[in-house]
Amino acid sequence: MYEIQELTKVYALGKVSVRALDGVSFTVEDGDMLAIMGRSGSGKSTLLRQMGLLDNPTSGIIVLDSRDVTRMPENKRVGLRLKSLGYIFQEYALLGEMTAHQNVYLPGMMLGKPGVNYKKRAAELLEMVGLGERLHHLPKELSGGEQQRVAIARALINEPLVLLADEPCANLDTISAGIVMETLVRLNGEIGVTIIFVSHDPNDRKYARSEITLGDGKIIEESGHLQ
Amino acid sequence: MTGTLKVASLLAFTSITRGNIGVILLTIVILTLVAMNLIFVPSLLDGLVWGANDKLINTYVGNLIVEPATEKDLIRDVDNFVPRLESIDGIAAISARNSISAQVEYEEERVSCSVHGIIPEREKEVLNVHEWLIEGSYLDSKDREVILLGVQLAGADRPDIEFYTRSLKTVHAGDKVSVRYINGIEKQYTVKGIFYTEFIQTDLQAFVTETEFRSVNALARNRASSIHIKLAEDADVNAVIEEIVRTGEDIKVLSWSEYAGIVRSMTDSFTVINAILNIVNLLVAGITVFIVTYIEVTNRRRQIGIQRAIGITPLSITLSYLIRAIFYAVIGVALALLLFINVVMPLEMRYPFHFPFGDVYLQVGPIDMVRTGSIVLLVTIFASLLPVRGMMRMKIINAIWS
Repeated sequence: MYEIQELTKVYALGKVSVRALDGVSFTVEDGDMLAIMGRSGSGKSTLLRQMGLLDNPTSGIIVLDSRDVTRMPENKRVGLRLKSLGYIFQEYALLGEMTAHQNVYLPGMMLGKPGVNYKKRAAELLEMVGLGERLHHLPKELSGGEQQRVAIARALINEPLVLLADEPCANLDTISAGIVMETLVRLNGEIGVTIIFVSHDPNDRKYARSEITLGDGKIIEESGHLQ
Repeated sequence: MTGTLKVASLLAFTSITRGNIGVILLTIVILTLVAMNLIFVPSLLDGLVWGANDKLINTYVGNLIVEPATEKDLIRDVDNFVPRLESIDGIAAISARNSISAQVEYEEERVSCSVHGIIPEREKEVLNVHEWLIEGSYLDSKDREVILLGVQLAGADRPDIEFYTRSLKTVHAGDKVSVRYINGIEKQYTVKGIFYTEFIQTDLQAFVTETEFRSVNALARNRASSIHIKLAEDADVNAVIEEIVRTGEDIKVLSWSEYAGIVRSMTDSFTVINAILNIVNLLVAGITVFIVTYIEVTNRRRQIGIQRAIGITPLSITLSYLIRAIFYAVIGVALALLLFINVVMPLEMRYPFHFPFGDVYLQVGPIDMVRTGSIVLLVTIFASLLPVRGMMRMKIINAIWS
């Protein structure tokens, strides 16, 4: 379970304080596929960054797998990001000097789980996202949609509890976006990984099993398996 | 820890093999130039010091010099004292000299100098002035009424020498010069030879045979103004000095470095200059590497942010930069040494730098190379880690999105 309690994030922009998140609370069931919807500036990406432990909330609590991870020191957060969370960025965010295969197995190599052949698993994951033939291509040799699927494979290499995707299709054409979202749905079904994705496109609702909609940093609508 | 090292190596490897070739080459070229600078300046100064010391030892003093305890006195009973010295372990050769001040005249020119009475065969074993003749020949023990002049006294029609204007200017081997000794005796000598060691102090000397010297100074018999000593290569200088002092004679014993204050102060100054230049070089190297790394790290800020976001530890990222820095430094130093040994040194051997005591050759040994390599490596590591450490402190979201 991924539990968010009264999460608040306030940014200081000069003398002005901007409340990007304002007391957001919800719980995501294991294996769920949650869409965080909302217009631009509603706080969707800010919420995902707090959940991905990339930023520290001003107040509130984040509980991952029954552990309060809100105030964890950075050296422990990096371990959680490696083992328990997979993060997919809007802008693909692959390492440009590494091949697709290297990009995927890098976090596996970092974790060094005993008995796991991370290179083989990376190849299997790339196969799973339909890029089995493009292992040794550099990101610049791949299309946007392909790069995003490499990013999905990378996020899955260490079998995380939760996959967080920040507008994964924002920079993609309709066909590529469809392939990426269907890939996520398939992985959610096949592997059972919990997926939380952010989108401003109402069409993406169809991929989710539950949904929250943010407005001005608050939940204005929720549906599905949320508690 | 294995994962950390593996990831660091992979990050370093991919960034070196697939990174911006221009930046990589620029970094290596800068480090090569820095390393060459770090080798060149000390090797030049070492060459200067070595050259000066070599000339001092081999043309002027020897390894040790024995003098009377008081300046106005002479070393007495030399006929007995020299064999006692020769029996000391570590002494390879000995040459006793008598010296007297004199004025040498040729046509309208006149020059003051010291004339030394020597036994040529013994002198050859201690000093190598005989190897620096530019005219005529060296003295022979049986020679009478001939004199050997340093080029700074003779002039020898060489206006380029340092003391030409104060020399006899046009004297050559075979010319006759008049020598007026300080004791009032005046003699005509034929110039048997002229030497040019390129060490000014040596080239301001004049030599006659000991037999000739006694003919103008009867008091010189069985006495010496100084005794020049050449030591065996493996001799313990301090032990030899102690042994000489233990003979109980009324003498003082000086090593060549103690004797030649001018050269010592020069070498001391060079050591200080060397240290200052090295510090400046290292600062320049450090700042350059810092700037190059800072620019690279700044350009890669987003990539570093992504690496941290996907769980790559700061230690791993930092180590990757460390590996890169070591790679650049090793390549830079290796290139510098290759260029230095195969290009700069042979070139300098062919066209050496010329100093008042002769040609100076670059002196660089394995210790200098290891020292330079280590210094460049340490400076590179330190200078490259500083910007990376700063980047590791930055918030991930700032690194990726700011």
